[in-house]
Amino acid sequence: MSEPDRVSVAFIWDTDSPLFSRRTFMRTMAFASAAGFVAACGGSSTKSGSSGTPTTSKPEAKQLNFYNWTDYIANDTIPNFQKQTGIHVTYDNYSSNDQLFNKLTVGNTGYDIVVPTDNVLVKMKHGNLLEQIDLSKIPNVVNLDPRFRNAAYDPGNQYSIPWQWGTTGLGFDKTKVGGEVTDWDAFNLPAVKGKSSYLDEARDAFGMALFALKKDPNSTNDADLDQAKDYLIELKKKIQSITSDYQDPLKNGTLLLSHAYSGDVFQIQADNPHIEYVIPASGGFSWVDSMAIPKGAPHPNNAMQFMNYILEPKVGAALTNYVSYGSPNKAATPYIDKTIIDNPLIYPSADVLAKLPFQKDIGEDEQKINDRWTEVKTA
Amino acid sequence: LSVTEAEPRTESHSEPQPRPAKRRRMPDWLAGNLLLLPTSIWFFFLMIIPIAIIVAYSLGQRSIYDPVRFSWGHLVWSNYSKALNPDFLPIFIRSIVYAGVATFLCVLLGFPLAYWIARFSGRYRTVLIVLVIIPFLTSYLIRMYAWQFILQPNGLLNSALGNLGLGSNHQFLNTHFAVILGLTYGFLPFMVLPLYASIERMDTSLVEASYDLGHGKASTLFRVTIPTVSPGLVAGILLVFIPAVGDFITPALLGGVKTQMFGTVVADQFESSQNWPLGSAMSILLTGFILIGVFVYLWRVGEEAL
Repeated sequence: MSEPDRVSVAFIWDTDSPLFSRRTFMRTMAFASAAGFVAACGGSSTKSGSSGTPTTSKPEAKQLNFYNWTDYIANDTIPNFQKQTGIHVTYDNYSSNDQLFNKLTVGNTGYDIVVPTDNVLVKMKHGNLLEQIDLSKIPNVVNLDPRFRNAAYDPGNQYSIPWQWGTTGLGFDKTKVGGEVTDWDAFNLPAVKGKSSYLDEARDAFGMALFALKKDPNSTNDADLDQAKDYLIELKKKIQSITSDYQDPLKNGTLLLSHAYSGDVFQIQADNPHIEYVIPASGGFSWVDSMAIPKGAPHPNNAMQFMNYILEPKVGAALTNYVSYGSPNKAATPYIDKTIIDNPLIYPSADVLAKLPFQKDIGEDEQKINDRWTEVKTA
Repeated sequence: LSVTEAEPRTESHSEPQPRPAKRRRMPDWLAGNLLLLPTSIWFFFLMIIPIAIIVAYSLGQRSIYDPVRFSWGHLVWSNYSKALNPDFLPIFIRSIVYAGVATFLCVLLGFPLAYWIARFSGRYRTVLIVLVIIPFLTSYLIRMYAWQFILQPNGLLNSALGNLGLGSNHQFLNTHFAVILGLTYGFLPFMVLPLYASIERMDTSLVEASYDLGHGKASTLFRVTIPTVSPGLVAGILLVFIPAVGDFITPALLGGVKTQMFGTVVADQFESSQNWPLGSAMSILLTGFILIGVFVYLWRVGEEAL
């Protein structure tokens, strides 16, 4: 396979295996400086503060600067796009939403496409960090599952085209947990005491607590949040760590049970077949990572061309077959591996789906959660 | 010092020095300041301004949509009272203890090493010093990941112990031991290098004199060697303790919920808790406390020790 020369940074670390987390936190930070350097090079043609709307069709350089999660793309996605369009793609990686958000806040990054998760997308929208998308340039948008056409985080796809989606639940080693894992109360299993973890993301952790307490997972009610806080502090006594970097520990037995993102767990199954994922009976959050164009992106038209390309059925299918997350691309379904389509953990039934809401935009009320989160972390 | 002072005097004795030709010379104060200029610029832009920004952040209003909203008309002093919340105290104390123990272990390990390299390693001295420095060529983060592989349940250490018949089921990760080990390992070179420099310059005849005058080995070590190399020791202690107390990578990678350090709390405010003003206030306070501690320490050990 001939790799194009500009697709460099990701492959230094990725090799050909999909076996690293798209959210592996610290590890990619080691390369963040390298990525930043490439970004600076890639973005050098950026005119700072250019306020031209993406719809103006001035000629653009054949260049696209793409900032995506680690290990979150098929090997041929970018090479095929480059072959088809002659547009050079510079591909850089990040490993947490915070890293991406902080970077965009600070200013002109030179990136044309970023892939924030829905709750962060909402923040970026409010913070005026994104360009609006011209859907007339993305005819393939009709291929999207209706669930993603009018979702609460971005009704009508004004700012985002979904990339992949998944759920938040529990990953565990079925041979060692010593019991059935069906719901959030699995943390009480004696065998997992001191060998479990929950996510180092305020909204996800509070969501878990609220689901477990049978409350509205998007609640902003102070009493609910206090209860959730107490739940998390109590739970902290039983676990080993609060971390989003759980993939390796789960794989090698340091952790037996982890609050986890679905696709992360499917990826480590290949290495350790004892690992399983479950959508908790009380429910869990769905999440979707979406492509969006940062304010002042130098090549918005190329970005939209790329979005349209991703929505092609076969391209979307190849992506999903590689990363094992759900595809928002309904037209891609016939080309997706049967093992993925038939897996109720990736494509849940309608009644399970009903218990898998997206995180709602709760505005400045998020501070309530963040404050309590600090209390949880330092308790 | 004595040599450089002596030189011109001997010269002036041997020949009547010709007065330097009268030419326009830069006054000393100007030359001195000009030489300081590059460092001052560096210091101003990469030290003073960033700290000023953190101070400004620490007085800002937080928001979900932009990390900080700062305005002169609305300085938010409450960030500081929040940062002084007694709930953080146990974590703060834990950081001090971890860093303190790690510093102590660095002295214990680094002193004999530096002493041996400086005095007895002969022609291998340079090679050995380079070996001390080599880990720096790899990112600290990656080295901590390497320790994860060593310490994890099915890792190198457990399998080595298993092969020795000592059991292979020990819990190393997520313990106080792991974090202190990581800090000690990570910062040991900062102890070895200044100690080495001091010991190498030490006049070894002092040690012989001490023996001649009837001191034993221990007594010579504590009354002659250590006082002589104390500048290196003080520098090493500061160079290890200060970064160790604010570290957040080591506890994040080698520790668990019960081993978090203050640096972790600060880092959290910039990431999952999204409260930059509070995080900034915390780091200003931490910096302040450490500065006070350092001043007190230097005052106790005597400034000339540096």
